[in-house]
Amino acid sequence: MTTHELEQLLLQQPVSLLHRLARGRISRHFRSGKRKLIDLLLQASAENRPGLESDLAALIEEQSQRQQARPAATAPKPKVPARPATSPISTRPHRAEEHGHHEPPVSLHEWLSGIGVPQAQPFVPDAWQVDALAKLAETDVVVSVPTGSGKTYVAIEATKRAMQENRTVIYTSPLKALSNTKFTEFSRLFGPEQVGILTGDRREHAQAPLLIMTTEILRNLLYDAAGGEIDVRLDTLGLVIMDESQYLADPERGVVWEETLIFCPSQARLLLLSASIGNPQDIADWLTAIRPNPCALIRHTKRSVPLRAGYLHPNEKLTPLFRTAGIPYGQPHLLHPEAKRLFAEYEEETGPSRSR
Amino acid sequence: MPPSIHPVDLVATLRQRNLTPAIIFLTSRRACDEAMQSFERSQVTLPKAQQDQIARVLAQVTEQYPSIAEHPLIDTVQRIGVAAHHAGHLPSWKIAVEELMRTGSLDAVFATTTLAAGVDFPARTVVVTQSSIRKARDFTDLTASEIQQLAGRAGRRGKDLVGFAVITPSPYIDLTVLTKGLTGQPEAIHSQFVISYPMVLNLLKAHPREQIQSILAKSFAQFQLNQRTAVLETKLDGLRAEMEPFGPRVCSDWITQWQVFDQARKRKKPRGLGARQESPDVAARLHFLTPGRVVGLTRGRGIILRQYRSKGQHAPMVTLLRDGGSLNECPASIVTQVFDRTFDCEETSAYPWCTPQTLEQLTHHLLDLPPRLPILPILTHQNEEIPLDSSIIQTLGDFACPTCPSRQACQRDFPRASRVRQDIQRHMKSIQALQTSLWHRFQERIDVLERFGYLNATAQLTADGEWARLIRIDHSLLITELIRAEAFGAIDPPLLAAVMASIAHDDDRPGSFPRGSAGLVTLLFQVRKLAESLAPHEAPPMLRADVAALTERWVADQTLTWIGLARLTTMAEGDMFRLFARTIEFLSQLKTLKATHPSLAESADQAIAGMRRGVLEELP
Repeated sequence: MTTHELEQLLLQQPVSLLHRLARGRISRHFRSGKRKLIDLLLQASAENRPGLESDLAALIEEQSQRQQARPAATAPKPKVPARPATSPISTRPHRAEEHGHHEPPVSLHEWLSGIGVPQAQPFVPDAWQVDALAKLAETDVVVSVPTGSGKTYVAIEATKRAMQENRTVIYTSPLKALSNTKFTEFSRLFGPEQVGILTGDRREHAQAPLLIMTTEILRNLLYDAAGGEIDVRLDTLGLVIMDESQYLADPERGVVWEETLIFCPSQARLLLLSASIGNPQDIADWLTAIRPNPCALIRHTKRSVPLRAGYLHPNEKLTPLFRTAGIPYGQPHLLHPEAKRLFAEYEEETGPSRSR
Repeated sequence: MPPSIHPVDLVATLRQRNLTPAIIFLTSRRACDEAMQSFERSQVTLPKAQQDQIARVLAQVTEQYPSIAEHPLIDTVQRIGVAAHHAGHLPSWKIAVEELMRTGSLDAVFATTTLAAGVDFPARTVVVTQSSIRKARDFTDLTASEIQQLAGRAGRRGKDLVGFAVITPSPYIDLTVLTKGLTGQPEAIHSQFVISYPMVLNLLKAHPREQIQSILAKSFAQFQLNQRTAVLETKLDGLRAEMEPFGPRVCSDWITQWQVFDQARKRKKPRGLGARQESPDVAARLHFLTPGRVVGLTRGRGIILRQYRSKGQHAPMVTLLRDGGSLNECPASIVTQVFDRTFDCEETSAYPWCTPQTLEQLTHHLLDLPPRLPILPILTHQNEEIPLDSSIIQTLGDFACPTCPSRQACQRDFPRASRVRQDIQRHMKSIQALQTSLWHRFQERIDVLERFGYLNATAQLTADGEWARLIRIDHSLLITELIRAEAFGAIDPPLLAAVMASIAHDDDRPGSFPRGSAGLVTLLFQVRKLAESLAPHEAPPMLRADVAALTERWVADQTLTWIGLARLTTMAEGDMFRLFARTIEFLSQLKTLKATHPSLAESADQAIAGMRRGVLEELP
């Protein structure tokens, strides 16, 4: 393809496609108009023209599939030059459509059904919560569960048990705001005399059996203790709970979590609470390698309140996002045909108009 | 970019479908504020009961945090049941909004994505309007973890049977990023271990240098490096197996042997071919082939018009005027005889390389030439065979390869074997680098600290190192160097607070602020100079003069109220609060130097006391 041909082909594409093409190639591409964007794309891909061309072909293919999914009557096909790349695709039915023959897409009514407040039930801990607490009696535990699954329950129960055994508990969180929230919450639960807080600029009840602090403070305490300066009650320290442990991967502050975990006294149990991450096993393996006891991993991916995804068009039309009511994990292509059609319409409308 | 649907319509639709309360994530603080403004103009009002509930909750929170009472948005929130929640707000206001959400009094909250990471308040529905967020200075796609963090706020345990994540498009949204994020696996996390100066000082305080390597080996960073090492090692095993058939042959290290022999052989070749391509007699004749010269060819005669070298091979070439008036470009070797006869030739720089008149004349001359012409005798140097470089002959002679029985096998296998061997060496080098990189970085830090005098030659803490290790914040080297340079000798608390604020502040959000005092300007100039001189060892902070001036004002003028301060600047209240909170944190580190720098610690203490008033006092 010559530069001129490529330029013509790019000119015929909607601007949204160009932006997708520019992603990773051009910084701040969202600022440029169509013409400028094309120039930048050509410039940026001078080194790797085939890469740009193949990406472009893939995007065009994807777009044409989307157009095929849309009934011909509602939207006439825009003028697009003959694209040989699309012909083998057009003969093959899309996987989603294939799927659709067996199972019709969920209706909006079905999708919306079931909204409501569950009946008040006596609290019964989930199996994983019980499991985590049982394991914590023996050894260190890493918990990786979706947001809102009830990690706090595990933290509170573990704290109760440690305090019954007269051992000090340290609870760390990455943010001062979170520390403050937890301080209020735990003070209500355990009584104000039982709970202390240490942050960069606040010290209250520093001798209480349950101490809430930011991770940096705990790191500093451990350094001071190692330097032989202050007497933190590290001997009686029974449990260290680290909330939001996925901060381990924070570019600026992650190192503090590592330092804290490396220097955490070996007689203290560790309870790491983390949102869903891809490699919790790595963290458990790591802790097993550096701590006296093997570390247990509690991991589950099922949300306690099921999640459904929807698509709301700017004209206030609401449709399910996926063909299934729930989220089809691992199958991002199972889009609801209606959502697909509306979004294509949206891209069609907004795309070219912004380049003018 | 704001979403394409109007915020009022968005909330109305959610209400109508019974999808409230909802958290609506927008790209920027501005988008949140604009969404709120669009409600101010709308006619929506809540039923009285709900308004009362909001007022009740707000009154409760206000008891604890009085600054909420002054918030300009209170009336709007109460009237429409919608609020904004972003980092530009004061923490007390954010707490109020969170409390309102927890009690279910609000229908919707407009929030920026920063909310997803920290504070914990769920809703029935989460609305996502974007597929990318601003990080540093550029937009990047949301990761699967981030999308799931956002969506994870949907569905309150015990209050909802189902949660909803609703996507509504805004320009530049990429639906595939979101669908993949919703259905995919969250990303693996990677260690971000960096070795800072305070870390080095604190580790060396507690452990001798010999133990450091084993401590670093306990890091998650090293754990993940080891994982990479393991991958490389399996690859290495594979390569070693591939290397099996290329084991020792006649010579134990035949690959090197062959490589050297091959190189020696190759170096010999160009000598025979290269420099002297033309034969000796052509070379000798070249000097005489000037324009106007009559030459004899294998057939007929000609007159030279120009001499040149061919582009590619640099072969000697001539342009010839031949019998019959034709012009030819020929290799110089076509000339068999050089006659002792030349004609005048007026040369030009383009074809036919002479003026038309000359060409005409020469054509005539060529026809009129007598059949016999005196031949110019040209001496040709019969160049004797240049002997091969003696050293190479020698080495070639040393090689057994030419006569070796495995020569053919060696020649055949060499390309593959040498490639595999290179890979093996490369892998071994990377493995070694992975194993020692942390320790190397640590040693680099030790070297710097030694040069500045915080460590002695045996990597033990000096007197300066002993106190410097207590400064465990960003830009620690700059701060400790400032202290050693006595920049803070007998410094006033406001000035100290101002300098620390400019070091602590790392946000480049623009704003317009009051000017600092003359003393502050001079001091900041010195700080900047020092920071620049430290740049090779520590990235310099932004050192914004305007935030320094703002802090100075706040500490120096104790009658200044928070509202009054906010009027002096365009900085958002939340940003001001964070600036001060961070400054207090930095100052409290200076406070720990009580033993060695009593006057500085005292000054820091006073600065903290001066800063902690108004809104800053009300919140921890």
